[in-house]
Amino acid sequence: MNIGPITVPIELVRIMVAILAFSLFIGLNGVILVWLERKVAGHVQRRPGPYEVGPHGLLQPVADALKLIGKQLFIPKGADKILFWAAPILSFLPVFLLLIPMPFGPKLFALDVDLGLLLILAFAGVNVLAICLAGWSSRNKWSLLGAARAVSQCVAYEIPMLLSLLSVAFMEGTLNLTQIVNQQEPWLWNIVYQPLAFIIFFVCAVAETNRCPFDLPEAESELTAGFHTEYSGMAFSMFMLAEYSYIIVVCCVATAVFLGGWHGPFYPGSWWFLGKVYALILVFMWLRWTYPRVRFDQLLNINWKWLLPLSLLNLFVTAFLVKVL
Amino acid sequence: MVFDWLHLGILVALIVGLTFAGAPLVLSLFVAPKAKGGDFAMPYECGMRPMGTSWIRFGPNFYIYALLFLAFDVDVLYLFPVATYYPEATGLIAFFKVFVFLAILVLAIAYFWAKGVFTWPRQIR
Repeated sequence: MNIGPITVPIELVRIMVAILAFSLFIGLNGVILVWLERKVAGHVQRRPGPYEVGPHGLLQPVADALKLIGKQLFIPKGADKILFWAAPILSFLPVFLLLIPMPFGPKLFALDVDLGLLLILAFAGVNVLAICLAGWSSRNKWSLLGAARAVSQCVAYEIPMLLSLLSVAFMEGTLNLTQIVNQQEPWLWNIVYQPLAFIIFFVCAVAETNRCPFDLPEAESELTAGFHTEYSGMAFSMFMLAEYSYIIVVCCVATAVFLGGWHGPFYPGSWWFLGKVYALILVFMWLRWTYPRVRFDQLLNINWKWLLPLSLLNLFVTAFLVKVL
Repeated sequence: MVFDWLHLGILVALIVGLTFAGAPLVLSLFVAPKAKGGDFAMPYECGMRPMGTSWIRFGPNFYIYALLFLAFDVDVLYLFPVATYYPEATGLIAFFKVFVFLAILVLAIAYFWAKGVFTWPRQIR
């Protein structure tokens, strides 16, 4: 690309523009999703939700953010200071990285990454580390219990998630998200061939992002706030922002891998991608305000006794059919 | 190491992520009040005085799950390179190789199941 007399490599421009766009996207999303969640919660429980600040309470998250900036940041006595502050930052750190290989539209992606799926799965694991650090360094019993739960839950649900994504990868023969989307047809998305894998992936996605009915790590009624009990003000909101960003990321992956990405029966383009992502997010919220929380042994046993054998079976059948058909 | 635009992308993304997460915290340090004294720094235990420290040893329940995870995750990771070549591989031999690999994973679950790892309260035989 030529800007005046200087020649700039197109990839450099792509990276810079993409990261800038991602920061706007994530920042705006945090605001919209906080509002949307409270609005959905309100309407599910037959009340209007936030209504006073701005039209239909749309500016409520902005007001909340301003309030949270003005709150004191506490460190509990005897806590590990460095790890205590590293945790909220580490939690949010890989978010932009996870969006790099995401194909938002036919030409709208940051970089064409051959190992896109693996890159996302690998760096999404950093969040588990952040939760672990947050819980341990707080020197608080609630935090420690929440972190122990969160880690055993996240690592458990990661395996069926990998296996369900692998069955699509076995079918498509690639880990490149752009190619996976390109190989799907306008209507025959991968969900038609892999319905079981999609269901497993979705359940795992809900568990991985610590959302209800699998929100044991921050179960309010038993653990106060789980791993972020001791975090106040901005540190707390960083965890919230990271949580909402991971929801966006898993919904993007589900859309790209299972729901045909930007494909649609008419006018294919990034609006289809975003539409599917937000539809999935609404399902996430709907689930949260509909189902009660599961018990912890149930949570782990659903995974080890059902999801894992089912996803292995699904992979078997996929591998067989790819070779036979 | 060969330079790739992806490496730069990862680096830039991490740096911007650090700034994005760190800036509000730093801003908050300037704006927020800094009250001291009293029981501000007491770990929160529903308002009671904390009983003992929280950095203690606790049951190895979660440790077994961590071991299980390690075993499975590392094994599953080997399937990713296989997946990229699988549709092009000729003949059923590729399927049988994957079959043997996955069958061992299934045996591992069956073993842990029979051992009672998934039974709560824990009764490992």
